Amino acid sequence: MDTVLEAADLTKHYEDFSLRGVSLTVRKGSISGLFGPNAAGKSTLLRMLAGQTPVPTGTLRVLGESFGSAERDLKNRIGYVPQEPVFFENQTVEWLARFSAPYFARWDGAGFYRLLDEFKVNPLKKVKHLSGGQKKLLSMAFALSHDAELLILDEPTAGLDVVHRRALLDRLRAFVADGDGTVLAASHITDGLDEIAEEIWFVDDGRVVAHEDKDDLLARWKWVHFKDGALPKAIEEGLVRVKRLPFGSSGLTGDYLNLRAALVGPLASGDVKLDNASLEDVLLSFIKGA
Amino acid sequence: MDPILRRSSFYYVTSSITYLAVMGRYMLTRDWPVFEVIPLFMPVWLLSAMMASESDERYAFLRTLPVPDRTVVRTKFVLILSSAAFQWTLMTWAALGRMDDSVAEPSTLVYLTLVCLFGLIAVAGYQIGIWRLGFTSMKPVLLVTIIAGIALIIVHLASLKRVDDWPALSQFGVVEWLGGAPWISSAVLIAIALLAFRALMRVGVRVKAANEAHL
Repeated sequence: MDTVLEAADLTKHYEDFSLRGVSLTVRKGSISGLFGPNAAGKSTLLRMLAGQTPVPTGTLRVLGESFGSAERDLKNRIGYVPQEPVFFENQTVEWLARFSAPYFARWDGAGFYRLLDEFKVNPLKKVKHLSGGQKKLLSMAFALSHDAELLILDEPTAGLDVVHRRALLDRLRAFVADGDGTVLAASHITDGLDEIAEEIWFVDDGRVVAHEDKDDLLARWKWVHFKDGALPKAIEEGLVRVKRLPFGSSGLTGDYLNLRAALVGPLASGDVKLDNASLEDVLLSFIKGA
Repeated sequence: MDPILRRSSFYYVTSSITYLAVMGRYMLTRDWPVFEVIPLFMPVWLLSAMMASESDERYAFLRTLPVPDRTVVRTKFVLILSSAAFQWTLMTWAALGRMDDSVAEPSTLVYLTLVCLFGLIAVAGYQIGIWRLGFTSMKPVLLVTIIAGIALIIVHLASLKRVDDWPALSQFGVVEWLGGAPWISSAVLIAIALLAFRALMRVGVRVKAANEAHL
């Protein structure tokens, strides 16, 4: 397995928040989704991974190099979209492209303008006159226009309408299609990235609380709906997010593959039913206090 | 031309031209204490140029580009140095031209050098302060420095004219002594200041790379 990003024990302390010992690997050619509640540490982590902020503790290797010795080379190979736009607000989009192009080793000016056209961003407009969604798309156009191998995206679909969100998700799929491009994106689950992510990382309170292949994760997490007394005690006690309902109870299990055999009888009796869990359901079971 | 250099140089070039347009006329036409007072505006002017340039900077955007901090720091420092050197050269030229009518003396050359070097080092220090604490935090400090600087210069000018034994900075003993060999003194002072400036540039790279307040 080719790894394009390896982070070990990344730690960073702020006055009111700490990222604590985060380790993470990203496989080449994959789309990895970093999910978690607000202020979980996703943006801080992505900024560190994209070389936007120093790494005080821990080790980080991106595309086989470290930022200290190869910052220029790495930033040519990484496309980064920050959570908030960071452009010169008083300048036009066209000006920004002229300003930035000389710094990139493989800037694709024609491709950049094609993307602007596709994203319906007017290059003659000043950045301050663009909507939030258009600024996000402008960031995306920059990230996609210098032949990057790795895209690190912080909520890339936030603020986009459904048409542009779909177009962007298709772009990301196409980016990894040939196996050379890799995407790591932080997102809220409802933003659509959960549909295309293959690897799932859950972050909460400055730590990675879970990491798994999406299909494996969803295969082992199920909703169990049961009439009182229909489930073996041990299974019932292992459920999380249990809700008492008028006709019985529901709870989530993350151990379905091991419980499958024990559930055959109750399922056959009709007193127990199973439902697929969504990523949001799973995420909520990991978040403290959810 | 490097885009960051081109963009930021606008403020420094404008400032230098404005300084010379406003102050240069006085240096060429007025009598004592013109070379005592006018050079003192140079650090204030340079600081204003740096402040204007920084108020319009987006370091967070620059960091997304393949531009190492070392390059950004070097660019900013080159602008400060060039601007100081330009103003020093033209003030020195003006002082040389006024030596015949005794408005300037050899020690004036040393005094100009000292003031310009002070401005150079001080503004470099403030620039590092911005990378350490962020422009928003430093803005009040910069404004107070500029206003206090102008106020002190005005007080100094008024005192020179009204108070008989008010000391002139350009006539301090050490300045007079260095004025005995103005070119050698200036060369030594410039060499020392450039070494300090280079050390500050290295500090600037470390500070900029290690801090986020300016992003």
